[in-house]
Amino acid sequence: MQIKVDDHKPVEETLRDREWELSQLVDLVPGHLWRLTPDGEPTFFNKRMVGFLGLDVADADRPGVSRLQAVIEAVIHPDDAAEFGETLRCSLVTGKDFSIRYRLRRSDGVYRWMSSRAEPMRDQAGHIVQWYGLCHDIDDQVHAEEALRRSERQLQQLIDAVPALIWCMTPEGIPCYLNKRVSDITGIALEDLIAPDGARSLTVIHPDDRDAIDRALARSIETGEPFVGRYRQCRSDGPHRWVESRAEPLRDEAGNILQWYGVSVDIHDLMTVQQTLRERERELSLLVDMVPSNLWRLTPEGETTLANRHMADFLGMDLEDKQQLSEVFDTIFHPDDVETVWDGLARCLRTGERFSMKYRLRRADGVYRWMSGRAAPLRDESGRIVQWFGLCHDIDDQVHAEEALRRTSDRLAQATRAASLAELSASIAHEVNQPLAAIVANSHACHRWLSADPPNIDRAKITAERITRDANSAADVVGRIRALFRQTPHARLPEDANRLISEVCRFMADETAARRVRIKTNLELGLPSAALDRVQVQQVLVNLIRNGVDAMDTVVGGARELEIQSARHGSDAIRIEVRDEGTGFEDVERVFEPFFTTKQHGMGMGLAICRSIVESHGGRLWTANNETRGATVAFTLPLEASEAP
Amino acid sequence: MSLLDEIVFVVDDDARVREAISELLESLGWQSRTFAVAADYIAAVKPDLPACLILDIELPDINGLEFQKQLSDDVHPPIVFITGHGDIPSSVRAIQGGAVDFLTKPVGEQELVTAVRAAINRDREQRSVRAELAELVRRLDALTPREREVLPLVVSGLLNKQAAAELGISEITLEIHRSKIMHKMQAASFADLVRIAEKLQIPITHSRRSGSLQECTTRNPW
Repeated sequence: MQIKVDDHKPVEETLRDREWELSQLVDLVPGHLWRLTPDGEPTFFNKRMVGFLGLDVADADRPGVSRLQAVIEAVIHPDDAAEFGETLRCSLVTGKDFSIRYRLRRSDGVYRWMSSRAEPMRDQAGHIVQWYGLCHDIDDQVHAEEALRRSERQLQQLIDAVPALIWCMTPEGIPCYLNKRVSDITGIALEDLIAPDGARSLTVIHPDDRDAIDRALARSIETGEPFVGRYRQCRSDGPHRWVESRAEPLRDEAGNILQWYGVSVDIHDLMTVQQTLRERERELSLLVDMVPSNLWRLTPEGETTLANRHMADFLGMDLEDKQQLSEVFDTIFHPDDVETVWDGLARCLRTGERFSMKYRLRRADGVYRWMSGRAAPLRDESGRIVQWFGLCHDIDDQVHAEEALRRTSDRLAQATRAASLAELSASIAHEVNQPLAAIVANSHACHRWLSADPPNIDRAKITAERITRDANSAADVVGRIRALFRQTPHARLPEDANRLISEVCRFMADETAARRVRIKTNLELGLPSAALDRVQVQQVLVNLIRNGVDAMDTVVGGARELEIQSARHGSDAIRIEVRDEGTGFEDVERVFEPFFTTKQHGMGMGLAICRSIVESHGGRLWTANNETRGATVAFTLPLEASEAP
Repeated sequence: MSLLDEIVFVVDDDARVREAISELLESLGWQSRTFAVAADYIAAVKPDLPACLILDIELPDINGLEFQKQLSDDVHPPIVFITGHGDIPSSVRAIQGGAVDFLTKPVGEQELVTAVRAAINRDREQRSVRAELAELVRRLDALTPREREVLPLVVSGLLNKQAAAELGISEITLEIHRSKIMHKMQAASFADLVRIAEKLQIPITHSRRSGSLQECTTRNPW
């Protein structure tokens, strides 16, 4: 027995060792091992599994529920439990291998994905004795797969959702993928891009663009350079549309091209707009060139940046020569106008005022022609001046016509004035001269009669009587003339002197401008009104302005400026001054004498008449030479009765 | 020569001027006749005396200068213009038209006297020239037709022989005609006859030297 025992001892020991080894193996194997009865009751969980689940095979037992069911409810994710149960049942019934993925609850309550397999162990008769199962943790793998799937899905969604046509082609240039949008929008399918012989087909590209795109693609495929092309794409549902396609190669680590990825964007609207814009621009530029006026553009600093064709032709300028363009303004103005124009333009550039002037421009043939020029600034949203646009047109004929008209009218006025004066003087001369002639002759006769020997007293008496008679007759004539010239009082109404001055300046503007004199007014605001005869005071102002302009006629250079001032004068009058920068008066006192004149064509009556008009209004008129140069004529007008204090 | 042998006509529309000038002329010893308008002057019967016409430029019926132009076709006394205002163009026209003077009213005594005197003196000369011419015309009328043919030829300076040939008569006959002409025209010498012919404006129809003159014109003038 002992021996037996002893004999058995190594066998037992060996078995015990093996069992221990097996049990160690079962527990140490990096997976969960389990065993079921043929009817599915769990009979064993290995140690690792017990550790994972936090319960052993019997720990879930509940009365009235099979152990399998209890274990399933305890450790299988509720969403997977039904499938797990069904699959296991199916295997138990059929004896087929069992394989499933499911989530298994860990001891800390976290479900982890497991991959489980089980196979039956049969006896020699082929009856199932046991089911042995193995499951291992694939949670990380599942999550990774899921993330990958999700990412792939997102990518696919992205590719399908992005508002672009995305495509791929092989390194040989054969299209191999189109995103959904391609077919949605264009109706083009991958088959459409591949010819029957397997080469790429470009039939969806407008015939006019096809060759260029084919060449560009071929070049990119050959060189590996990115592909860019614009073309019209045929649409199944309508006319061609402009598309811009770009493609870049994907390379492997060795630099070999694996795939081409391309994207096509619909630029039809853009192209249409560009086309429209180009057409519009061409139309505008045509308009700018064809308009029968000179158009130009300046920077805010005054540099010329554009001149239209008409202007270039007029000036004989080469539009291609930018240098010539920027310097064009330096040479084209009449020497007499250049200063005024530059001053005016500089002022406008400075202040932003609109520019408007008349000046002479030199035409290509060297002839100066009068132009009417205007310019206005273009401002941006903040009000800053961005550019100046100018226009000038030829008014030479008009100016000459106006000048001729003015000359004619001047001559007419002069003639009328001379004629009426001549008539008047002839008439006065005749009226007064006749009795004077008679008186002189009678006087001589009288003298003769008295000097005769003997004196003829009777005839002398008769002639003396005639002398008296004729002298009286002459005196009568003088009286009648005086009556004729006596001023009849005109209606005097309260007037705003400033308004009157402005009116006069306005209707003198052309005349003064023609003689290149600028009138500057310096009018006191809120000047009380004066009772005056508009027409007479206008005459005075016109006369004084003309005098001033005349006086500056001979002045060369300098600003030919005439200043008109108005101001209160004392408490009961206003004062108006006309200040010129002319030659001044040689003799301030004599200027009022009738028929005294320093002008070649004057009558010498102007200031005398002005003074008599002003004095008839109860005002005073005087003159003085300015300290620097020129002269000032000033006059006062009493305030209207109600305005006076 | 007395001032009473002379007369001054005054045409002026102003009665006072007319009257006064006439008075002054009278006080100076001239007789005068005054007219208010030109038409009255034309219509009047005027004494045949050396005279002067004082004419106002501004007449109611006709401008004085225009009137002067009309008168120039007839025999009339020299004109002295008077005017209210003397403008240069009018005075130039007046003098060019033959006026003696152009006076501006009021007219002083001295200038009036000077002008009137000059005018009357001129009239005297013109009258004597006219009288002499009338006498010469009377003498010319006394010539026979043949003598009137001979006269232009001899005063042209043709030799008797040439003139005779021209008329187809003998030189003797021509000489007889010539001496009768001298007698009838009361020419003291041949030179006197030439002068008379000149006054009568008898045309010089021939030149004795015409041949050589023509030669001259063909020659180079320098």
